[in-house]
Amino acid sequence: MYHQFCIDVPKRVAYSVYMQNDTHKPGDADIVRQVVGGDVNAFELLVKRHQALVMRIVQKHLPYSEVEETAQDVFIRAYRSLPAFRGSSDFSHWLSAIAVRTCYDYWRKAYRTREIPLSTLTDRHQQWLEKVMSAQSEAVTAPEGYRSEAGEVLDWALARLSAEDRMVIELFYFEGLSVKEAAKLLGWSVANVKVRSFRARKKLEKTLKSLISKKDRSSAHEIS
Amino acid sequence: MKSLEYRPGVLKNILLQAYHEKEKLQVGDQWHLNVMGTVRRLGPLQVKPDLLMQFGQFVWRLTPATCLLIIMSAAVLLKFDFTPDYNVLLSLFIADAEEISLVQLLPL
Repeated sequence: MYHQFCIDVPKRVAYSVYMQNDTHKPGDADIVRQVVGGDVNAFELLVKRHQALVMRIVQKHLPYSEVEETAQDVFIRAYRSLPAFRGSSDFSHWLSAIAVRTCYDYWRKAYRTREIPLSTLTDRHQQWLEKVMSAQSEAVTAPEGYRSEAGEVLDWALARLSAEDRMVIELFYFEGLSVKEAAKLLGWSVANVKVRSFRARKKLEKTLKSLISKKDRSSAHEIS
Repeated sequence: MKSLEYRPGVLKNILLQAYHEKEKLQVGDQWHLNVMGTVRRLGPLQVKPDLLMQFGQFVWRLTPATCLLIIMSAAVLLKFDFTPDYNVLLSLFIADAEEISLVQLLPL
């Protein structure tokens, strides 16, 4: 969950707090001051400290092929925006917001230019679905040998949502962030996130139900 | 064949696991070198002067002079009684002040 990403500083321990407690190493705010003051090379310290955080965020939201390039974009944006960093919030929190918004911008562009791969699901995915739906307990792990199918079905379902709905679903339902936290990361109003999260969940449910009923219909057809 | 029942809890758990599995994928570690390459190409940041901050600095510098001016004005006003010359003001707006007074008195 995002507590690993140091979003809510009072409740969760920020990675940078460990660094700040080390008296030999400068804090993030000090490094930002150095960079803004003209020491470009000092930015490398921030990159090294927070690359894991940025990478975890970007990996979850984007296709594998886009991760490295987008992670670079995040840090370039952060560098350009450093003068605007006032130090009122934790640097890792500020950087997380940039990472999330960069991911959102990627999806907006992809949807606008219709570069979303609307892959079709194959028999392999249908078999996986059957295995999952016939499981006795709700506490299941992805069936052995079907891990990639789960990821592909997830991508398939999310590709049918808009960029906004996708981000809200991922932050609110998959990451478990609160509406307020998600709104802050995305830079949207709380009301907007609340309404979107409800609608996006309904859409996703409808998509997954249609997948199951399609499987059901094709099975019935085979029998007849 | 038994029809499949939509079990949101089951599917959600599986998809949640698939979502979190993505962060375990290995990524190259050269990309951060590209970041520094781009940052060095961009060069030092151009920090635009914050107008509000500049204004604040400017105002604070004038504060001692302003206070002195206020104190001196107060001293001058206390020493020389301030009585506005009403007649001068009136003459600016009314050409014949007496005529207007008669008009007001007589019901014309």
